[in-house]
Amino acid sequence: MKRKALLGFLLIFFFVSESFGSDIESKIKNLEEVLKTQQKMIEEQQKVINGLKDELKTLKTQESSKTEKITEKEKPAGVSGLFGGSALTNPNISVVVNTFGYTSNIKGNELETRGMPGYSRLGIEKRKGFNLESAELFAFAPVDPYFNLYVTVPITEEGAELEEAYFVTTSLPHGLQLKGGKFKSGFGRLNAQHPHQWDFADIALPYRAFLGDEGIIEKGVQLTYLPPLPFYTLFGIEALQGDNEVLFGSDAKSGPQAYSAFIKASLDLEDNSTLLFGPSVITGKTKTDSIAENTEFRGDSTLYGFELTYKWKPSKTRGLILQSEYFLRHQKGNLEDTALSTIEPLKRNQDGMYVQGIYQLNRWRLGARYDILDLFKDDYRLNGVSQDFGKKPWRATGSLEFNPTEFSRIRLQYNHDRSRRDGKTNHEWLLQFVLGIGAHAAHPF
Amino acid sequence: MRKSVFMFIFLFLFNTTAVAEVRPVRKALSDGVKVVATLPWIGSIINDIGKEKVEVTVLVKSNQDPHQIEAKPGMILQTRKADILAYNGLDLEIGYLPVLIESSRNPKIQAGKPGNLDCSQYVTPIEKSLSADRSMGDVHPFGNPHYHLSPKNILKAAEGISERLSAIDPANADFYRANLVSFREKLKEKQKLWSIKQLKGKRVVAYHKMFEYLAAEFGFEIIGYLEPKPGIPPSAGHIEKLIGIMQKAKPEAILTTAYYGRKEAQFISQKTGVSVITVPHDVGAAEKAKDWFTLMDHVLATLE
Repeated sequence: MKRKALLGFLLIFFFVSESFGSDIESKIKNLEEVLKTQQKMIEEQQKVINGLKDELKTLKTQESSKTEKITEKEKPAGVSGLFGGSALTNPNISVVVNTFGYTSNIKGNELETRGMPGYSRLGIEKRKGFNLESAELFAFAPVDPYFNLYVTVPITEEGAELEEAYFVTTSLPHGLQLKGGKFKSGFGRLNAQHPHQWDFADIALPYRAFLGDEGIIEKGVQLTYLPPLPFYTLFGIEALQGDNEVLFGSDAKSGPQAYSAFIKASLDLEDNSTLLFGPSVITGKTKTDSIAENTEFRGDSTLYGFELTYKWKPSKTRGLILQSEYFLRHQKGNLEDTALSTIEPLKRNQDGMYVQGIYQLNRWRLGARYDILDLFKDDYRLNGVSQDFGKKPWRATGSLEFNPTEFSRIRLQYNHDRSRRDGKTNHEWLLQFVLGIGAHAAHPF
Repeated sequence: MRKSVFMFIFLFLFNTTAVAEVRPVRKALSDGVKVVATLPWIGSIINDIGKEKVEVTVLVKSNQDPHQIEAKPGMILQTRKADILAYNGLDLEIGYLPVLIESSRNPKIQAGKPGNLDCSQYVTPIEKSLSADRSMGDVHPFGNPHYHLSPKNILKAAEGISERLSAIDPANADFYRANLVSFREKLKEKQKLWSIKQLKGKRVVAYHKMFEYLAAEFGFEIIGYLEPKPGIPPSAGHIEKLIGIMQKAKPEAILTTAYYGRKEAQFISQKTGVSVITVPHDVGAAEKAKDWFTLMDHVLATLE
C-alpha cells in the first residue's frame, strides 16, 4: 500500500520533472536506483518491524506467565480462610522460644529433689540462673479436604522431642470430630494449652501433683461431638495409651490403658463476658514408683476434674480472666516395697485446686494465683493405716506481664511455694521471655 | 463399675447423636440460607442481596475492634449451624477464624467448600507486600484488609456474594441476581451523592491504616499515622514527631475509630489545633449507620 503510494508519487514526480525534460533515460535510471534503494529501505524496515513484533510477542508471553505466576502465588489468599498463614509456606511453621531467668532462696541441689510428699517425687526442673525451656516448633496444614495435621516438636538443649503429632477430621457429619495420634488430652482446661499460652510461667500445683509438669499428653484417639443445642456444649471421649508418668506410670507396655471423658459448656452472659465450665474424668491402670522411695504401686487411678473460666473483655485495652479447676484423685491398688518385697494394700483420695485471675490493661497484664492441695480430702490409707504427710501443700503466685505485641511476652513472676510440706518456703522469682515467629495456629478460647 | 460408667457415656453420646440426626432433619434451605458473617458490614451486604431468603448472624459486634476477636464457644456453635460462613479475609480474622472453622465441625464451611465465602477474593486489594515481616507491625501481606469503605470493591464483593448465594440456593438464584441489580442501581445513585462531597485534596492524619481505600477513591491524602507501625500503639516519641509533621503540613483532621483510645488523638489535637473525627468503622458503630449504605453516608458526612 505504502509502496504503491510511493510509486505514484514518484511517477508524478517523474512526469513533472519530464516536462522540464532533458535526459529522460538517465533520469529513469536514476529513478530506478532511487526505487531500488527505497525498496531496500522498506525491506529493512519490515525486518525491524518483524523483529519488534517478535520481541513484543515474547514480552507478552513473559508477562502473561508472570501474571499466571502471581495468581498462582496469590492462590493461598483464597484458601487463607482455613489457617490464614501469612507466610506462603505450606505447611505453616512457627517457632516459639521460651526462656527465663530464675532465682530461689533454696539451694540448687535441694530444688532438684524438692517433690511434694504424698503426691509426687519429681523435683523442680528450673535451675538458678539462665534457663532455656525450649524452642517449640509447630507445623500445621490441611492434609486434604478431610484432615488437618498438627505437629509440635519442642527442642530443648537435650534434643528434640515429639510432643504432639495428630490429625483432626474436618468433614465428619453431625458435629462429630475425630482426633488421633499423640495429643494433649481434652481433660481439664490448662491441660490442652501449650506452655506459651499459660497465664503463668509454670503449671498450677494440682497439675504438677496429679499429672506432672506437662499434663496429659498421650497417644490415642479422641471423639468429640458438638450438638446443635441453644448453647455451646461439647462432649468428648478419649481412649489413651495411658503412660502419663505421674498418674499412670510411664511403662505402659500394652494399651489402651486409660480412658477419659469430658463435657465443656459455655454461656455468653452478655456481649463481653463468657463463662466456660464442665466436668472431666480420666481413669486408667497405674504402675508407678513415684509414690515413695523404693516402692512400686500397681492399681487403678481415676482423676475427676471440674473447670470454670470467666472472661470479661469489654475492649481491646481491658480484660479480666478468672479461672479455677478442682481435681479429685482416687487410687486403689497394691504398694510393693521393692527393698523388703512386701506388698500392702493402698487406697487414697486426694484433691487439689487452683484459683487464678488475670487483669489486662493496655499491654500490661497483672496476675494472681493460689494453689492448694489436700483441700477437702486427705485420706491416704496404706495397709489400712491413715498416712499423715504434714501440712497442706500450697503456693501463692503474683505476676506482671508486658506484651509488646501478641507475638512477644515479658513476664516477671513470684512464687511463694510451700508445696514441700516441711514448713520451708521456696521464694521463687522468674523473669521470662516468650517470643514467637512464623505462622502460628490461632489459639482456642 | 468404671466400664459401666463408660458404657453409659457412650450410650449417652450416641443417643444424643441419634436424636440430633432425627430432629432438625436438614430443613433443606426452605427456611432460609443460614449465613454467619464475621463483621457487621458483611451481614449488611448479605441482607441486601439475600433479603428474606437468608438468615444472617453477625459474630463481631459493632463496638468491637475487628483485630482483637477471640473464638468464643458461642461463635463456634453459630458456625456449626451455618450454611455459609462469610468473612472479610486478607488475614483480618486470622486470630479466630481458623479455630472457628475447625472447631465448628461443619463440613459445609471448610476451606474450598462453597459455604466458605472469603469476600476479599472478589476485591482488588491495595498495599500488598509479600515480603513483609512482623518488624513492620501487624502487616497484611495480601493487602490492606479494610476495603469495606470502598464502594468499588464493595460492589465486587456484592457480586461475589450474589453468585455464591445463587450457587448454594439455586432455587432462588434469580431472586439474588435481581437484588444485586437493585443493589447496583442504589449504589450508582448513592455514588452521585457521594461524589459531590468536597474531600479532594484534603489532608488528614489517621490512627490506623483504616481509610486507605476511602482516601484513594475520594481523593484525600493521609499524611501520617498515630500508630508508628500498624497495630503498634503510639509511643511518646512518635507522637512528638507526628506533632512536628502536623504543625508543618497542617492537615485538616485526625481520623480515629471508637475502639482506639481517643486519649492520644485528643492530646495531639490540643497541641496542634487539628480536630479529631471519630469515624464509624462499621455498620452499627454509629446510630445512623444501620446498613452499609448509611454507614458510607455517615462516614462521608463525618469527613466533610
